[in-house]
Amino acid sequence: MTESFLEVRDVYSGYGKIEVLHGVSLTVAPKEIVCVIGPNGSGKSTLLKTIVGLIQPTRGFIQFDGSEISHKEPEENVELGIAYIPQGKNIFPSLTVMENLEMGGISLKDSRKARNAIQEIWERYPILQKRRKIKAGSLSGGEKQVLAMARASILQPRLILLDEPSIGLAPKVIDEMYHHINRMNREGIPLLIVEQNARKALRLAHRAYVLDLGRNRLEDTGEGLLNNEEVQHLYLGR
Amino acid sequence: MSYILQSIFNGLLAGCIYALFAMGLTMVYRVLNFVNFAHGELIMWGAYLLYLFMGDPFHFPLYVALIPALGFTILLGLGMDWIVFKPLRRTNRLTLLIAALGISFFLRNGAQLFWGAELRTYGFEIKRGWRLFHISMTANQMAIILATLGCIIIVYLLLYRSIIGKAMRAVSDNLELARVTGINAKKTIRFTWIISSALACVGGILLALDTNLQPGMGMINLVKAFAAILLGGVGNVWGALWGGIFIGLAENLSVLFISTGYKDSIAFGMMVLLLLLRPRVLYGSQE
Ligand SMILES: Nc1ncnc2c1ncn2[C@@H]1O[C@H](COP(=O)(O)OP(=O)(O)O)[C@@H](O)[C@H]1O
Ligand SMILES: [Mg+2]
Repeated sequence: MTESFLEVRDVYSGYGKIEVLHGVSLTVAPKEIVCVIGPNGSGKSTLLKTIVGLIQPTRGFIQFDGSEISHKEPEENVELGIAYIPQGKNIFPSLTVMENLEMGGISLKDSRKARNAIQEIWERYPILQKRRKIKAGSLSGGEKQVLAMARASILQPRLILLDEPSIGLAPKVIDEMYHHINRMNREGIPLLIVEQNARKALRLAHRAYVLDLGRNRLEDTGEGLLNNEEVQHLYLGR
Repeated sequence: MSYILQSIFNGLLAGCIYALFAMGLTMVYRVLNFVNFAHGELIMWGAYLLYLFMGDPFHFPLYVALIPALGFTILLGLGMDWIVFKPLRRTNRLTLLIAALGISFFLRNGAQLFWGAELRTYGFEIKRGWRLFHISMTANQMAIILATLGCIIIVYLLLYRSIIGKAMRAVSDNLELARVTGINAKKTIRFTWIISSALACVGGILLALDTNLQPGMGMINLVKAFAAILLGGVGNVWGALWGGIFIGLAENLSVLFISTGYKDSIAFGMMVLLLLLRPRVLYGSQE
């Protein structure tokens, strides 16, 4: 087995009395892009929320970079270098683009570091600089997603959890998004991406998992799942 | 004509004070998603604390007494969150509402025990003020307007220019996202209580300066602040500001048509009406 940077082992989790994950396991190796696909309601978002600490697992074990994080709070996980970009509402709509980025760097002790990071973001995503004084709520869907990723990048995360980055975006915008994702990965950041519209993500992913009704169903390389007949039939709509 | 102008002026004056109450109330709502029905007691205690530090045995001058009055009102606000609301944060909104009413009752009776139920004043002699376009204005009233403007500017600077104020807006936008962004939510919530309590204290003092002190002053003004935030869109700080001013104007212009004794019923009626239209506010659902 590959050396794993993130390991999720037999995790049970849910909301109050409602159990959603019934023993899910996966690993992410350093520098890897791992994709989790599965139908709506299969628990993909719940899985990421459990890893980042927004909800606590009732059973199981989560390890990040050699230390257990099963019951850590989100604030602690952020500090450890886990960035989480939720599905949908992933920007602060009433704050300007600039203020959103400032929030991204708020936990940095050195405010100069945050300013430099924002400077880099302007170079990397000129569209954000152009819109920096605009309320983030009035950005387009693609711009919002870019802003969310840029904000998460300020803390120089060591792992990015990305929940449905392409949801509701036009195909061209999705391409752009995956271009950004790929670039982050080439810079050495491992990513765990959850997607319902899976083709694009599978093409990029080194490895991928299929989640169904809160359980692991399949696991293979991205390529492998892309060519798997069952997956094609059930999840790629072909 | 001059009577109408005077009414408008009085309305603006009252509206300024209501706006301070409403801004604090709506801020707590935005961040914590519940209406703090004990906010009125922060208003009342703020006013009485100033009275305390200006009277026996302290005899501080107004400007000195202001500091401990503000400080203790803020502690009271932080204290009610720490002791009562924080442990209840994860329960349903109705529990929070009832808890707030409980605190309100407790604090009101506490003040009454301490200072009695009778009307009191700070004992400044009312100086004849200026007359401007047929409007008469006392020095106190001038102070009210200036203090309100000062508070609004401070609130603006805090919310839009300071990092903690921006964090507060971020938390009110989306608490979960704020937490995973690395914003210290606890610190931000404390900051919200500090601003809200400070505004209540200043507003309470201004109100007592213009009228008088009595243990029931918190409750009645809570109704006005509540009506103001309903009017301005719950959770909207500037909406609360305009809502407060509107209520002040409506009340004071109403005396042109109805007896002064019914003045307070304007805000109450507005509150009932708006609640009928948007009852979900009580359960803490954002618009
Ligand atoms: N906040 C919540 N409270 C209760 N149940 C929830 C909550 N969020 C999601 N669920 C339920 O958990 C299940 C999995 O949801 P989710 O993890 O969002 O799935 P996916 O992201 O794969 O579409 C669904 O049945 C959903 O109804
Ligand atoms: Mg989801």
